Amino acid sequence: MDEKASIIGRVRGMNWSGLLQCTAVEKNGRTIVSDCYYEGAFKLARPIYLHPSQPTIYLMHVGGGYVDGDRYKTEISLQKQARMIVTTQSATKIYKTVKMPVQQYTSFFLDDQSVLEFFPDPVIAYEKAKFYQETTVYMKASATFIYGDIITPGWSESGDLFRYDWIRSKLKIYHEGHLKLFDHLYLEPRKGITDIFQMEGYTYIGSLFVVSPLITKDVLKKLEKIAAHFPNEAHFGWSTPTVPGLVVRILARETYIIEVIFQLIHQLIREECFQEGPIFLRKY
Amino acid sequence: MLDKLLPLLQLCDSNFPSGAFSHSFGFETYIYNEKINNEKTFREALCAYIRTQLTYIDGLACRLTYDFLQKQSKDDVSRLNEMLAALCLARETREGTRMIGERMWKLCREIYSFEIWNDDKEKRDYIHPAIVFAIVCDHLEIPKDITVLSYLYTSVQALVQNAVRGIPLGQTDGQRLLVFVQPYLIEAVQTIDALTEEDLGAVTPGLEIAQMQHEQLSVRLFMS
Repeated sequence: MDEKASIIGRVRGMNWSGLLQCTAVEKNGRTIVSDCYYEGAFKLARPIYLHPSQPTIYLMHVGGGYVDGDRYKTEISLQKQARMIVTTQSATKIYKTVKMPVQQYTSFFLDDQSVLEFFPDPVIAYEKAKFYQETTVYMKASATFIYGDIITPGWSESGDLFRYDWIRSKLKIYHEGHLKLFDHLYLEPRKGITDIFQMEGYTYIGSLFVVSPLITKDVLKKLEKIAAHFPNEAHFGWSTPTVPGLVVRILARETYIIEVIFQLIHQLIREECFQEGPIFLRKY
Repeated sequence: MLDKLLPLLQLCDSNFPSGAFSHSFGFETYIYNEKINNEKTFREALCAYIRTQLTYIDGLACRLTYDFLQKQSKDDVSRLNEMLAALCLARETREGTRMIGERMWKLCREIYSFEIWNDDKEKRDYIHPAIVFAIVCDHLEIPKDITVLSYLYTSVQALVQNAVRGIPLGQTDGQRLLVFVQPYLIEAVQTIDALTEEDLGAVTPGLEIAQMQHEQLSVRLFMS
């Protein structure tokens, strides 16, 4: 993983509003966080073992939210066979950004047979917020990456939804060095966001991405079965990318509807692919 | 200019066997759910499609390819092609563009000779139709804005013909729509001209869900 060394070397001392770097390694069947560095508004609490051998880390922001011109960077590496669950301590709140959009860059480096499950809390963009988020994954074909992301419309003093200026969210997954999955979500409320093809009258959007050699036709068939039991308040579709895996897009009018679907799929994958029980991340 | 018009007419002809008529790219899901069920609802959807999918994916991809070809940057074209394949998350729509792209590529290589492309022996498992269209037009020395506009027109024309069959609409309605969308297509070319590679692929979640749901539709006229 040559990209990794060069990228990690570059980012320290670049004056980020928050920077977090962390490495997980597998030792005698248990994953431990071997190396951790953070500065600015980002902090990492001691890992919690919700599962006996897989740590869960909670990414923390010590301020109240993201403001004008903030730039954040997170880099997480999983070495061979390491397994880790990553979440946030609370929602990512984006406040009014007048001059510069808030930028958030997150990178994951997943070595052979490592498994990363990433379920951050929702992004909430308030009135006049501009938010650019770019998540990049460099993974081996034998690794597993699971990522659920939720964007909420925020609200304003007037009580109206969708008062943010725009949100741009990109995900790039490099699979053995080749770009195999690229998602680019751009939401600009002034341009007919509630229309046909856009949010279709819904307010919350959830996206779930899974890339794993363990997602077989058998697992997909089981997904088809459980999909019939997803909450009917949700409008969703799912398909398969160019590499073994799964992509789900959900529109809903409440966050928890999306979270329920994420949980059902996450649980199915943990059971079917890893013969593991469910993990409950909720903090409240 | 007369000598350029005929090859362009041929390329944009609805008889050009690209296979585009087998694909609705998610429209059939809306027809199935009766969200699109007459000329008015289809017209609104078509305009939304031009403003979103055609502008930020197909049209921009066509323009970027043309720019890269002008700079003789074949690597950038390959990189763009890889991005386009990775970008389409709905399997059927991705397979649809793959089939159309491959058919166009195979056919155009039979009828034209592209100097920098013919030496490419490497097996290509995906080529996006927007890239093929730009390569052919660049070869034919058709100007960039006309290339992009023509590509948008062929995409819209195929969708209109499919709507005539799928909704169904009258043939005259279809032709009226093709007149109606002309200013929207010209506006899209101007929008595309001001975009950068960073804008590529800004998807619309609702359409993408419809493209994904198409896989599970019980009755289907189209492959996507």
